[in-house]
Amino acid sequence: MNKFILSKKLYRNELATFYSFLIGFLIALAVGSLILFIQEKNPFDVFSLMLKLSIGSVNSLSNSLNKAIPLILAGLGISIINSVKLWNIGAEGQIFMGAIALNFVYINTSINNSQIYIFLLLVSGFLGGAFCILFPAVAKVLFGVNEIITTLLTNYIVFGLTIYLINGAWKDPASLNFPAAAYVSESVYLPTVIGKLSSGFLICILFTLIAYYIKDKSVFGYEMRIAGGSALTAIYAGINAKQKAFFAMLIGGGFAGLAGAIELLSQTHRVSTGISQGFGYTAIIVAAITGMRPVGIFLVGCLFGALTIGGSVIQTIGVSSYIAEIIQATTLFGALIAQFFFSYEILKKSEND
Amino acid sequence: MSSPILEVKNVSKTFGNVKALDSVDFSLQKGIIHGLLGENGAGKSSLMNVLSGIYLPESGTIEIKNQKIQKLNPDIASSLGVGMVHQEFRLIESFTIKDNLTLSKANIFSENFDEAYKKYSEIFSLNSNFLTPINELSVGEKQKVEIMKLIFKNSEIMLLDEPTAVLTPQETLQLKESLDKLSQEDQKTIVLITHKLKEIKDFTERIFVMKNGKMVAKNLETKKVTDKELIELMMGEVKTSNFNKDNKKGGVKLKVEDISLTNEEQLKSLDDISFSIQSGEILGVAGVSGNGQVELANVICGIEKEFQGRVLINSQDVSKKGVKSRKKLSLSYIPENRLGVGLAPGVSVLDNSAIKEYFKASYGPHLSKGKMLGYLNDLIKQFAIKAPDVKAEISTLSGGNMQKLLMGRELISNPEVIVAAQPTRGLDVSAVEAIHKLIINQRDKGSAVLLISEDLDELFKLSDRIIVLYEGKIVKEVDINSATIETIGFAMAGINE
Repeated sequence: MNKFILSKKLYRNELATFYSFLIGFLIALAVGSLILFIQEKNPFDVFSLMLKLSIGSVNSLSNSLNKAIPLILAGLGISIINSVKLWNIGAEGQIFMGAIALNFVYINTSINNSQIYIFLLLVSGFLGGAFCILFPAVAKVLFGVNEIITTLLTNYIVFGLTIYLINGAWKDPASLNFPAAAYVSESVYLPTVIGKLSSGFLICILFTLIAYYIKDKSVFGYEMRIAGGSALTAIYAGINAKQKAFFAMLIGGGFAGLAGAIELLSQTHRVSTGISQGFGYTAIIVAAITGMRPVGIFLVGCLFGALTIGGSVIQTIGVSSYIAEIIQATTLFGALIAQFFFSYEILKKSEND
Repeated sequence: MSSPILEVKNVSKTFGNVKALDSVDFSLQKGIIHGLLGENGAGKSSLMNVLSGIYLPESGTIEIKNQKIQKLNPDIASSLGVGMVHQEFRLIESFTIKDNLTLSKANIFSENFDEAYKKYSEIFSLNSNFLTPINELSVGEKQKVEIMKLIFKNSEIMLLDEPTAVLTPQETLQLKESLDKLSQEDQKTIVLITHKLKEIKDFTERIFVMKNGKMVAKNLETKKVTDKELIELMMGEVKTSNFNKDNKKGGVKLKVEDISLTNEEQLKSLDDISFSIQSGEILGVAGVSGNGQVELANVICGIEKEFQGRVLINSQDVSKKGVKSRKKLSLSYIPENRLGVGLAPGVSVLDNSAIKEYFKASYGPHLSKGKMLGYLNDLIKQFAIKAPDVKAEISTLSGGNMQKLLMGRELISNPEVIVAAQPTRGLDVSAVEAIHKLIINQRDKGSAVLLISEDLDELFKLSDRIIVLYEGKIVKEVDINSATIETIGFAMAGINE
């Protein structure tokens, strides 16, 4: 009889995360193909159609990248919070809160210069996201309450708040009973750059660089790493670990809130349940696949944006759009398994009787 | 001589590029205490892990009780009576002593547990009821339970990895007596792994010495071998040095006045502590661990804030100041807990090297990687640290190199006050020697050093004065010239002459 034992590798291949992603993605494509095959569709046809309709033209490519914006921003936020080894499951709620905060400021202010106004609205979106994670952050720092649970719960609270607002105080009479707030003025729409590509994508690039800088090049990032490595070492080094955790959470929440603001100003133009279609959850997948690396989050975010667009267009040939979500989730699953094999080796031993 | 109960021939094991075991031969005689001596990284633990079936060697043969074992695994090893006590305890803290002892499926005393417990707790002088949960036991008592666990699962061959590292001198003596009884009365075969020469000579009948993955001496008769020979075998050359004590002392650098600290249970963990250290002086703090040493270091370094009394660095009252401002006043702290306090696990070698003075590599919010790397390269060169990949996790370094990195980080800026807690614990002889030289070197450069150690040899070798802490109080203060091991030992045990 053979027995297998696991042993942890001391050194990991530097590109292990990238290879794991590739392996995960291939597994996901295989799983997707199998499902399509069962449905008597030719996987090759479906995938090439997805590819064509998601990146085949300037228009479709810009659609894909627009979809990538919230995934990337929320993913970056999650990765910043993970620097102190905390998990933010609340990006979905923070996205909604960003949009709500934006709308709140929009309703109560009026600025003629639209560029300044847009800037102010984006800032309020960021602050909204930060506000949303404020309570989990305080609970974590003061009482040690598990942030995974509290951030998850805030999703439900904020979603309830959204429903409440768009059916009540903010309900647009012109929306013919469709629950949604009133549209914002066209003057505060985020302009497009090429095709339909929103200038939000440029903000996204900027914030990828900011996240990379914070995590890898700043004193704050360093202090977060030490605090995340060992709370006792942080105390020994004179680093206030709780303060780092608190600010990391607020900044991370702000990134997701900004995603909600951009989504409102470039896509939905009003607060509705359509502000996010689970972006905050998919962002967890994006962040986890890349091992919390900002540049990786940017690239995988773009790919997942394209997958989402590809998934929605293949509905026209009678394939469910869920195939895209299956591929996304299976990619993470496969990548995590692959990462395991990069971190551990399996040694075979045979037992003799 | 009868045929060995366990015999290993030509065993090799490689990890990456490192030959942990290089054609090692090893054999054990029934009923005898064997010593396995060697520096850190010599391959002692690897060999024990092979014997207990945890590592599978690439080549070589293992024979236990005249039975050739093709591929040993922990199950087979255990069923053939090979048991190991690891350096880190493997007890279930919330379970009772009895639960832990009878946990193994190989437990042989399920019928007559009470009787067996009585017998062996007497042998080990363990004065606890078997219904006491493990987490209420002292470290020394836990060690006893660990060893008893082997007896309860009928291990005839007991491999003990550094069992004395956590014990007080009295407990060590007691362990010796218990092991003697086990080997004589129960015919247990015992392997004691250590790098303390004195213990190996006191405890064992036969000695094996390993160096760089090779077995350099087999089956030496303990009575016939000298310390010098063992050191030569272990290190290749003799490096004994005695430091001079005619060092020049200057003004007072560190002064603590009437320090008291009350812990969560309203007990005084520090009780009215006062002393001062001059420039160029080493003050040794002796004491069995848990008598206030950690608390004292934490108070001086600014980690513990809720205390009474005053701490003065260079005559400046820093009692209210935080860790960082004390560091800026040129205070360095080498904590007892290397990985976990001094170094952050899971974080890179590079990041860990900058913990003391990372703010010096910063421009506002920007942290210069270049400066950090430059600093680390200085450390690596100056302190001869072996760090193959500075971006890899800190745990890729060996224990000795971790401590060198930690010491180097704290000493490179030539601090005026140094607090060093157990700086050489768990290190091999050559690393200990290197660390001692660093401390003496720093003394000669005019630092005031507070050296907290449980190793009396170390304290006597380095200190100018020694204070003894017992239950949070200074119970003895002596100049090194008038100090004797006996007086210090008595004071550590809380006995007033």
